[in-house]
Amino acid sequence: MRSTFTRTILIAALGLVFTGAALVEAQTELVVWHGYRGAEKAAFEKVVQMFMDQNDGITIKTLAVPYDAYADKITAAVPRGRGPDVFIFAQDRMGGWVASGNTLEPLDFFLDDKLTGRFLDSTLHAMTYQDSVWGLPLNYKCITMIYNKKLISDPPKTSTELVAAAKKLTDAKVGRFGLAYHYSDFYYHASLMNGFGGGVFDDKSQPTMNRPENVKALELLMTWVDGEKVLPLEPSTALITSLFNDGKAAMVFSGPWFLGEVSDSIDIGLATLPTLDEAGGQPMRPWMTVEGVYISQPSKHKDEAFEFVTFLTGTEAGVVMALEGGQTPANKTVYDNAKVAADPVLSAFRAQVETAIPMPNLPEMTMMWSPATTAMNAIVRKSSTPKAAMDQAQKEVQDRISKLRK
Amino acid sequence: MVRRVTLGLILAGLVGALGAWWLAKAAVTVQNRGMHTRSSVAHLLMLAETAGVFLNGEADVQRLTAAFEEEHPEISSIRIVSGRDLVASTAPGDTGENAAPRRLQREEKDLFDLARALQASVTNNLDPTAPRQEEISTAPLPSGALQVAVPVEFDGENLGMASAEIAPPAPPRAPPLLGGFLVLLVPTLIYWGASRLLPENRWVHAGAAVALLLVALIVFAGIEWNHLADAREGLFTELASQVVEDASWSTARQLEATLDPVAPQPETWDVNDLREPLGVILAGGDVDAAAMSAELASGRRAYNRGLWLVQGIAVLLCLAFAVGWAASLWRTLKAYKEAYAYTVPALLGMLVLVFIPFLYGITISFTNLNIYNSDEAVWNIWVGFDNYTAILTDFEVFETTDAGRTINYQNFYWTLGFTIIWTITNVTIGVSLGLLLALILNTKGLRGKAFYRLFLILPWAVPNYITALIWKGMFHQQFGVINQVIQMFGGTPVAWFETPLSSFATILTTNGWLSFPFMMVISLGALQSIPSDLYEAARVDGATRWRQFTAITLPSLKPALIPAIILSVVWTFNQFNIPYLVSQGEPAGATEILITDAYKIAFEQYRYGYAAAYSVIIFIILMGYGIWQNKVTKATEGI
Repeated sequence: MRSTFTRTILIAALGLVFTGAALVEAQTELVVWHGYRGAEKAAFEKVVQMFMDQNDGITIKTLAVPYDAYADKITAAVPRGRGPDVFIFAQDRMGGWVASGNTLEPLDFFLDDKLTGRFLDSTLHAMTYQDSVWGLPLNYKCITMIYNKKLISDPPKTSTELVAAAKKLTDAKVGRFGLAYHYSDFYYHASLMNGFGGGVFDDKSQPTMNRPENVKALELLMTWVDGEKVLPLEPSTALITSLFNDGKAAMVFSGPWFLGEVSDSIDIGLATLPTLDEAGGQPMRPWMTVEGVYISQPSKHKDEAFEFVTFLTGTEAGVVMALEGGQTPANKTVYDNAKVAADPVLSAFRAQVETAIPMPNLPEMTMMWSPATTAMNAIVRKSSTPKAAMDQAQKEVQDRISKLRK
Repeated sequence: MVRRVTLGLILAGLVGALGAWWLAKAAVTVQNRGMHTRSSVAHLLMLAETAGVFLNGEADVQRLTAAFEEEHPEISSIRIVSGRDLVASTAPGDTGENAAPRRLQREEKDLFDLARALQASVTNNLDPTAPRQEEISTAPLPSGALQVAVPVEFDGENLGMASAEIAPPAPPRAPPLLGGFLVLLVPTLIYWGASRLLPENRWVHAGAAVALLLVALIVFAGIEWNHLADAREGLFTELASQVVEDASWSTARQLEATLDPVAPQPETWDVNDLREPLGVILAGGDVDAAAMSAELASGRRAYNRGLWLVQGIAVLLCLAFAVGWAASLWRTLKAYKEAYAYTVPALLGMLVLVFIPFLYGITISFTNLNIYNSDEAVWNIWVGFDNYTAILTDFEVFETTDAGRTINYQNFYWTLGFTIIWTITNVTIGVSLGLLLALILNTKGLRGKAFYRLFLILPWAVPNYITALIWKGMFHQQFGVINQVIQMFGGTPVAWFETPLSSFATILTTNGWLSFPFMMVISLGALQSIPSDLYEAARVDGATRWRQFTAITLPSLKPALIPAIILSVVWTFNQFNIPYLVSQGEPAGATEILITDAYKIAFEQYRYGYAAAYSVIIFIILMGYGIWQNKVTKATEGI
C-alpha cells in the first residue's frame, strides 16, 4: 500500500518535472538592454508586458544599463556572444559597431515598404550605414526652443526677431539674458551650422570642419555673443538650467532632457527654432539623435527578436511611450493619435524634427568632438577667429583620422 | 661541471629542435591551407567572372554552376545570389520545388547579408582614403570545410555574389624530424670530446656550449625551411596550371552559351581578400619567379621571427644549466618549500590582477591597436618602438603658424614640463600649508583643537570630483564667486580659462585645497610623537624658536614626511580629476597633464597602442623618480 503511494507520488512528480521542462522549452527568452530610467523605463516596461501578453511563446528580460558604461559594454560583450538579443542605443556609435563587425544584424532582408513607410524618413536615414539598415528607429531627440511664457508671449520666428526680443530682455549686470543655450558645445551649435548648410563631413566621409558655411555660422554666433551680447559667457548645462529656473533666461535652446529639470514655477512654451535671415531664411537645423533598436548578430532568436522590434516601433507601443514615457517616437503614425496630437511638448518636437538633420553615424564622428570643442572654446573666448580655429580643427581631425587608418 | 653542461645541451637541443620542427610543421599546415584557400578563391572568382557574363547575357547560370561543380569535385554547395533571388544553386536541398532560380528564404538571410556586405565593401574601397574592407569572405565551417564568397560583377557593376563550400585540403607532408636528433647529438658529442681541452671556467664551458647549440639549431632550421620552400614552389606551379585550365574552361562555356565571349583575366584571380592581385600568376598563367621569391622571403622572415624566440629559449635554458643557475634555483626552492607554498596564492593573485594587465599594457604599447583593428592579433599590428619614437622624438614644442610662433600644447615635452611644474608647485603648497597648520594645531592649550582639526580635514573627506566641480563653478567668468568678489572691489572679471597661466592657477588652487589636509594629518601625528624634553633641553641651552624648529622639529618629522612626499608626488603626477574636471585642459590643451593626455588619446582618439606607450613612459618616469628618491633619502632604511 505504502509503496504504491510512494510510486504514485514519484510518477506525479516526474510528470510535473517533464511538463515543466516542456514549458520552459517552448518559451523563447529574449534579453533586451536599454538605458531608460524613471518614467521612460516604466513606459518601456509596460510596452514589453503588452508584447508578452500578445505573444505567448516569448518572454522578455529587460536590463537597464547605466548610460556611461553602456556603449563599451555592447562593444565588449556582443561580439563574444555574451550580450543581449536586442538593445537600444543612439545612432552615433552605429558606424563603429558595423565596422568592427559581429555586433549588429543587418535588417534589410526583413524590410519592406510597409514597414519602412511608417518611420520619419530622417530617422530611418540615421539607421542606415553603407546602404544597409542596421536598426529600426525608436525615438528621436533634438533641441528646440523652450521659452518662459511669463517673459515672452510670442516666440520669435526669425533670427532678427530673436535678437531683438533677446536684447530687450538682456541685462548682463544683473545676470539676466534673453537667450541662453550651451552654444560652446558643438552639438548645440550644430543647429546654426546646419542652418547655413554646413556640416562636419561631406558625402564621401571626408572631414569638412572649415567649410565656409561653418565659418559663417560661427561668425553669426559671435555677433550674438560679442556684438549683441544677448548670451551668457562660459555657458554650461548647469548654468543654463539655473538661469532658466531663476527666470533669468527667457529663451533656451535645448532638448527633452531639459524639460525634466525645469522647475514647476516656470510656465514653459515650446516653439520651433527660428529661421536664419543671415542664411537666406533657412531654418535652424538641429542635430537629431535617433535611438535605434538593434538585433545583435550572435543572437539565437533573431526571428522572435525582429517580431519584438517591429512591435516596439509600432503605433500601439509608440503611443504608450509618448504619453507615459514622454518619448518622441520615430513612428509617424503615433502622432495621429488624438491624445498625442493634443500634447504641446510632443507636437512641438514633432514640428521641430521636420528641420532636424540626423547626426552623422560614421565611426570617424568620434574623432571630431574634441578638436571641435577646442575650436569652439577658442572662438567664444575670442582667442581665435572662427576661420583660424576651424582650420586648426580641420587639420587635427584629418590628422587623427589618418593616424588611425595608417 | 661537464655533466651539468651536457645536461643543459641535451635539454636545450631537445627544446630547440622540437620547437623549430613544430614551427615548421605549423608553417607547412598554414601554407597548405593558405594556398588551398588561394586556389579555391581563384576558381570561384573565375566562376563569378563567367557568371557575370552569363547574368548580363541572360544565359543559363544554373547550368554553368552545375558544370563548374562537376569540373571541381572539391567545391560543393555553390550558390549564386542576386538581390533577393537565388539565381543558381548546387546545394543539396535546392532541388525540385526548391530549385533555383527562386526567391531567397528566411534561412538564407545570411547569404543575402553577406552579398550586401561584400557589395558595401567594394563601394567603400573605391574611396582610397577609407579604411579597407574585405571584398572576399572566407570562413571556416564546423565541418572543417571552408566557405568562400566573392562578388559577381559585370563591367564594374555589382550583380550579386557567388558562394561555395570547399573541402579541406589533403594534409601536407610533415617536415623531417630526423635532423632534430642530429642537433641533439652532434653538439653534445663535440662538447664531450673537447671539454678536456677547455680551461676550468664555467663561463668558457657555457659559452662553448651555447655556440655549438646555436650553429646546430641554425643548420636544422635551414633544413626545415628548405622543405617548406619546396612545398610552396610545388603549390605555385599547380595553381598556375589550374588557372590556365580555368581560363580555357570559361571561354568554352561562354561560347557554348552563344554569348559574346569576354576574355578571362586569370591575373585577377590570384588575389588577397581585398581583391588586390598578388602578382605571382601572370596574365598568361605563368609564375612570376621574382614575385614568388619575394613571397618566399617574407615567409622566411615570419618563420625566423618564431625561430628567434625558440632559439632564445634554448640558449637561456642551456646557459641556466651550464652556469649553474638551474641548480641553485632548485636548491632554493627545495630549502624554502613551505615559504613558497604559502605565498603561492598571493603570487597567483598578483599575477592575475597586476602583472597580466600590466604586461598586456606594455605589449599593446608596441602595437598600433586602435578602434578599427581591436580584433586583430597582436603580431599583425606590431609596430615595434614606433609609438615610443613618435612620442619621444617629437621636439617641436614651438610651431610657426600665420599668427607667429606659438607653443604646440599637444607636444609631449610641453606636457611633461607642465606636469613636473604642476607636481612641484602642488607638493610645495601642500607640504608648507599642511606643516604650517599642523604647527598651529600643535600649540599647547589651544582651545577647540578637535573642532579645528575636523574642520581642516573636511576638504579631504569630500569626494574630490565634487570639490573640483564646485571650484570650477567658482571660477566662472560671469557668475563665479571669485569674479563677483573681484568686481565688488572694482576689478574687472577675469576669464580664468583663457590663458595658460590663469588656467594653471585654477587647478593649482583646487588641488592645493585638496592636498593640504593629508600633509597636515601626517605632520600632526609626527609632531605629537616628538618628546617634549628635547624642547625643554633646547630651551635650557638657550636655543631660539627657529633653531628649535630647524634642529628638532624638522629632523624628527623627516621619517614621516619623506614617504608622504614621495606618495604625494606620485599622486599629484597622476592627479587625473583636477585638470580633467576643472581646467579641462583649457586653453587648447595647455593645462593637460600626462595622464589626462593619455586618457584623451585612448578614449577620445581611440589610439590604444599609442596611449599605452604614453602610459608606459609615465610609469618609467615615476619608477625612475621612486628609485632615485629612495636612494637619496634612504627613507625606507628603517623598515
